[in-house]
Amino acid sequence: MCPFNSDIHGVGDIRMRFIRSVSDVFGYSPFEDLRKHAELIAKAVGLLERQFEAYRKNEMDEVEKLRDEIDDLEHQADLIKEEIRGRVTSSLLLSVDRHDLLHFLEVQDGIINYCEHVGHMLTFKRIKAPEEIMDEFSVLLSKLMETINEYEELVDHMSRLIASSFSKREIERALDHVKRVETYEHECDLIQIGLLNMLFNSNMDPVDIYLAVLWVVHLGEIANYTARSADRFRIMILGRR
Amino acid sequence: MDILLITTIIAGLYMAWNIGANDAANSMATSYGSRALTMKQVIVVGVLLEFFGAFLFGQRVTHTIAKGIVPIDIIDPHLVVVGALSALISAGFWITVATYYHLPISTSHSIVAAMLGFGLAIASRGEIGLDQIGWNVMTKIFLSWILSPIFGAALSFLTFKIIRFILFERFDVVSVEKVFRYLQIFTACYVAFAHGSNDVANATGPIAAALGYMGRETPIWVLFLGALGISIGFATWGHKVIVTVGERITELTFTRGFSAEFSTATTVLLASYLGMPISTTHTLVGSVIGVGLAGGLSSVNLKIIQRIVVSWLLTVPVACALSIAIYTVLVIFV
Repeated sequence: MCPFNSDIHGVGDIRMRFIRSVSDVFGYSPFEDLRKHAELIAKAVGLLERQFEAYRKNEMDEVEKLRDEIDDLEHQADLIKEEIRGRVTSSLLLSVDRHDLLHFLEVQDGIINYCEHVGHMLTFKRIKAPEEIMDEFSVLLSKLMETINEYEELVDHMSRLIASSFSKREIERALDHVKRVETYEHECDLIQIGLLNMLFNSNMDPVDIYLAVLWVVHLGEIANYTARSADRFRIMILGRR
Repeated sequence: MDILLITTIIAGLYMAWNIGANDAANSMATSYGSRALTMKQVIVVGVLLEFFGAFLFGQRVTHTIAKGIVPIDIIDPHLVVVGALSALISAGFWITVATYYHLPISTSHSIVAAMLGFGLAIASRGEIGLDQIGWNVMTKIFLSWILSPIFGAALSFLTFKIIRFILFERFDVVSVEKVFRYLQIFTACYVAFAHGSNDVANATGPIAAALGYMGRETPIWVLFLGALGISIGFATWGHKVIVTVGERITELTFTRGFSAEFSTATTVLLASYLGMPISTTHTLVGSVIGVGLAGGLSSVNLKIIQRIVVSWLLTVPVACALSIAIYTVLVIFV
């Protein structure tokens, strides 16, 4: 085997062997995979919302089924993450800084890890809580969904940034998405504080309170990681060469 | 015409065919990859413009390869035919082997090195002095090999930067791209013309030398033959290369394709004007990297530079040594 023979042309066909190609100059572009990774995360948050509604209706089989589905999404996201990390080598000239990109990926991956945690926590125990507390949880989850949808739009915007070669207009549009994600995250914070207040002043069983507080904290981490990831996105697009 | 001369012409035609099949197709694949042209249109543009470029503008580089390296005027014409044939066989063989291993080699580098091998072989037998080899021309050619990708990169960097600052900042990207779809039809023609004008010499240079080419003008039918060979290669094999390459470069939008093609064609045509046999493929790679440096591509694989340099350093001694060996054997038997 020749050391230069990088088998990327689909050379299974013998005729294809007799082709010289300039296409090797185009390197692996990680942005489509990053978008897919973000898409899986948005899906996971959607499942989490459904899982909580199933929990409220006491459909525990459904709750466990959705936990497994979220686990599966997390696993798929890990595979994409590894793919990106393995292929973004230093010999690539990317349109953003490589370290910024990998750091962004790391934080984005944190979002789905917390989705997985919450997914499991909902299967531990049936808690007895007043309806208004459960309603507030539903409010928090729908706010999380809004946050993650806005976040997904931000990541989708990457294709427009690349197409326009990071024109000022597209950068401003992307930054607007970041600001909106941050606003939603702040709103999540306020809902969390209200929820904690309600929980600690309730007459619930202490173990139930403890588990519910864990939910609040971990749901909060989903919002935090989403905002941090949006921030890393901003750093990445503003820190271009 | 004797059998040796006919063999030389056939070897030259294989060379022209190979250039049309691979190099011409590579330079046209950008137009197909960006979907500025359909396959039918690419083939028509390629066949016609490669032909005209080669036929109308191919004489200067042909002159360099035929007479610039080896002083054929002072050598026995019979030995010149043997030398030209050796050069074509060794270059053709090396190109085929290197293509099989996907080395980004250049046909121009191969034939220049092979002609140099012929010169060295004939000097080693005492027919000419070592100092009678066109070292001056060789130095210029080497320089042009280094400068052409850099020039292409600089030009495409500037071209894309201008598009970016003047157009992308003011107008919607989609509408800018639409306009450049039409402009890229023009650059596709430009590339084909420029490529034909430079690379045809890799085939016609040795044939012209073998024909005892004494004057300043390349015989018109030799250029016609080379042009025809390229066009046939392009028409018969080019589409396979275009599909393979084009599929992988869909990232090249119309503005990027325009920048890369415009810079490549300008560099190559300038080289043809100066009579320098350069590599269109290497210039194209340089131009694509230029677009990448200007922020036009999401990812450029810089490893290709290393592979090009290695192929370059491999091509010169291998094609040269092969040519010396083949000449030395042929001259005994023929």
